[in-house]
Amino acid sequence: MLEIEGLTRRFGDVTAVDDVSFDVRDGILTGFVGGNGAGKTTTMRMVMGVLGIDAGRVLWQGRPVTAADQRRFGYMPEERGLYPKQRVLDQLVYLARLKGLPDAAARRTAQEHLERFGLAERAEDRLQALSLGNQQRVQIIAALLHGPTALVLDEPFSGLDPSAVDAMADILREHASTGVPVLFSSHQLDLVERLCDRLVILGHGRVVAVGGVDELRAQGPVRYRLALDRDAGWVREVRGLHVVDVEGPVALVEVVEDGAEQALLREAAGRGAVREFTPVRPALADIYREVAAR
Amino acid sequence: MSSVPSTQREAGWALVARREIVVKITDRAFLIGTLVTLLLIGGLMGYQVWDAGRTATYTVAATSDVRPVADRLASDAPSLDEQVAVEVDAVADDAAARAAVRSGDADAWLHRGDDGWVLTTDSEEKGALTRVTQDVVRDVALEEQAADLGTTVQRLRAGSTVTTALLRGDAEQSQLAGGVAYAFAFLFYVATLTFGITLANSVVEEKQSRVVEIIATSVPVRQLLIGKVVGNSVLAIAQMLLYAGVGLVGLSFTPYASLVPGVGGPVAWFVAFFVAGFVALAALWAVAGALASRVEEVQSTATPLTFLVLAVFLGALLVTGTARTVLSFVPPFSAVLMPTRLLEGDATWWQAVLAFALLLAAAGGVVVAAERLYRRSLLQTGGKLSMRQAWSAPE
Repeated sequence: MLEIEGLTRRFGDVTAVDDVSFDVRDGILTGFVGGNGAGKTTTMRMVMGVLGIDAGRVLWQGRPVTAADQRRFGYMPEERGLYPKQRVLDQLVYLARLKGLPDAAARRTAQEHLERFGLAERAEDRLQALSLGNQQRVQIIAALLHGPTALVLDEPFSGLDPSAVDAMADILREHASTGVPVLFSSHQLDLVERLCDRLVILGHGRVVAVGGVDELRAQGPVRYRLALDRDAGWVREVRGLHVVDVEGPVALVEVVEDGAEQALLREAAGRGAVREFTPVRPALADIYREVAAR
Repeated sequence: MSSVPSTQREAGWALVARREIVVKITDRAFLIGTLVTLLLIGGLMGYQVWDAGRTATYTVAATSDVRPVADRLASDAPSLDEQVAVEVDAVADDAAARAAVRSGDADAWLHRGDDGWVLTTDSEEKGALTRVTQDVVRDVALEEQAADLGTTVQRLRAGSTVTTALLRGDAEQSQLAGGVAYAFAFLFYVATLTFGITLANSVVEEKQSRVVEIIATSVPVRQLLIGKVVGNSVLAIAQMLLYAGVGLVGLSFTPYASLVPGVGGPVAWFVAFFVAGFVALAALWAVAGALASRVEEVQSTATPLTFLVLAVFLGALLVTGTARTVLSFVPPFSAVLMPTRLLEGDATWWQAVLAFALLLAAAGGVVVAAERLYRRSLLQTGGKLSMRQAWSAPE
């Protein structure tokens, strides 16, 4: 498990990352979301040891992370492009050898990965001859080929077409299922919601929410949808509720005082037929907007 | 998935250095550039050989009254200068002679002037022909005057010859020293500039594409710097040795062949100074690359370095006297000047050792400082950095 404790980083007067703490647990996907400039990339670079830490620490398996530990992590930086003019296989072998693999093993694992990603025939091509999607695949291979003990991926889905997104998602799930902790950042909230087991939301350099996706949803406001036969305008009179929206016979309300929804239901039943009364689970995007606005 | 054994690991810097070398020697532009340079060197040597062996034949127009002197010129010329042969073109009068020279049928017109003799050429003087003509005319005049006095030229000339002798080396050797020194200064300049720019560009390319972040999580940044400096130094030195080797082999076919063994010793010094000087400058080029955040910015971050490299080159050519002696101890000028002074026979071995030690110390210092600048600027991607900003930047 990767534990981030009170990480802080300043650039001049700007505190880019401010006392950030969260865990990246073994065997699950942890999504890292936040707007531009929220501090995601800075945090990931500190976790990987490519950026100095002003305060706080990173723990790996319960002890402070070392350069040797970080060397065995897989990392995908935010902006991409390996060596454009070097052949695909050559540069993957080079990167694997830098990670400490002997030549033969580096060559073998690079070839295996190229085959898995359908790039075996492009092994001798120069990187710049590949399509952007395929270059992205080579980039992810570079993060995976040494059999990483943890994955830290900055925007692995950006620039991918839908089928490549699915392939990437499969790869991340597969690695997580071997017990490896996976942290990845993304702007695509629907994707994060679909993929992630846990979520860390960053805003202005601080953690604004952290937890399982269901857990975070449960923290969100509880809403009910009420559908009647006749106009539902009267719901505005019921105490302990916040009316989000009324449109003819349908109303969306938020519970402010516990039990107010029961009073609402009794009142509605007394007035006539109730066609629908359902709790509405907020989408991750709503939660994100909610917490980011706090 | 494969595991990472702790043994069998090749040092990070060696892997980096090997990649630098392999990428470069499989680069077509680099191979073609090297080949063209070798052809140029070979061509230059070939020209020397050809030039040494060729004889220039001059046609000299002469009217009948000066015919005896012209014939004497034709017969004596080869013995005076083995590269000069003279043919006589008999012309009717001065006007015909002028016309022959103007049309190019004759190279020169030999005739009497108001006070002595005149060699008239079309638009440029013929140096070798002039010298030979002067000798012949002087001999003819002396012989006539000696006959008038009832003596001989040999008796008149007795005891009047002056030959030259040098206490150290000889004239050809010193001329050659100048040539070799110039060639070396030029090679150093070209190598530090071309490999320097290559190095700076490869650093900023890694920075721009963020490959450097992947590498920095794999090996310490110091290893990356060392690998890049070592790789490019090996390439530059190999290229220089190749050029120097071809040049020396070529030289052995020229009339300077006897001097080749004498150049061999100083060449060893050249190589030693080249390595130390190149490494120091290479580390600075790496910093110039790291200060930029895009390839386009390298030109401006490398400007001071470009001037320094040019100053080393010009210093070797232009600085003379005491300043030259002093500068031959100052890194990085010493990298070129000290071996040059050694070749000229102007410096002693202990001076060379001292200058070399100073250069090595400076190279070491530069590498340490460069490592700090490199490490701190390498992961700053928010635009161009100044040296000062990089020095005090947080890691």
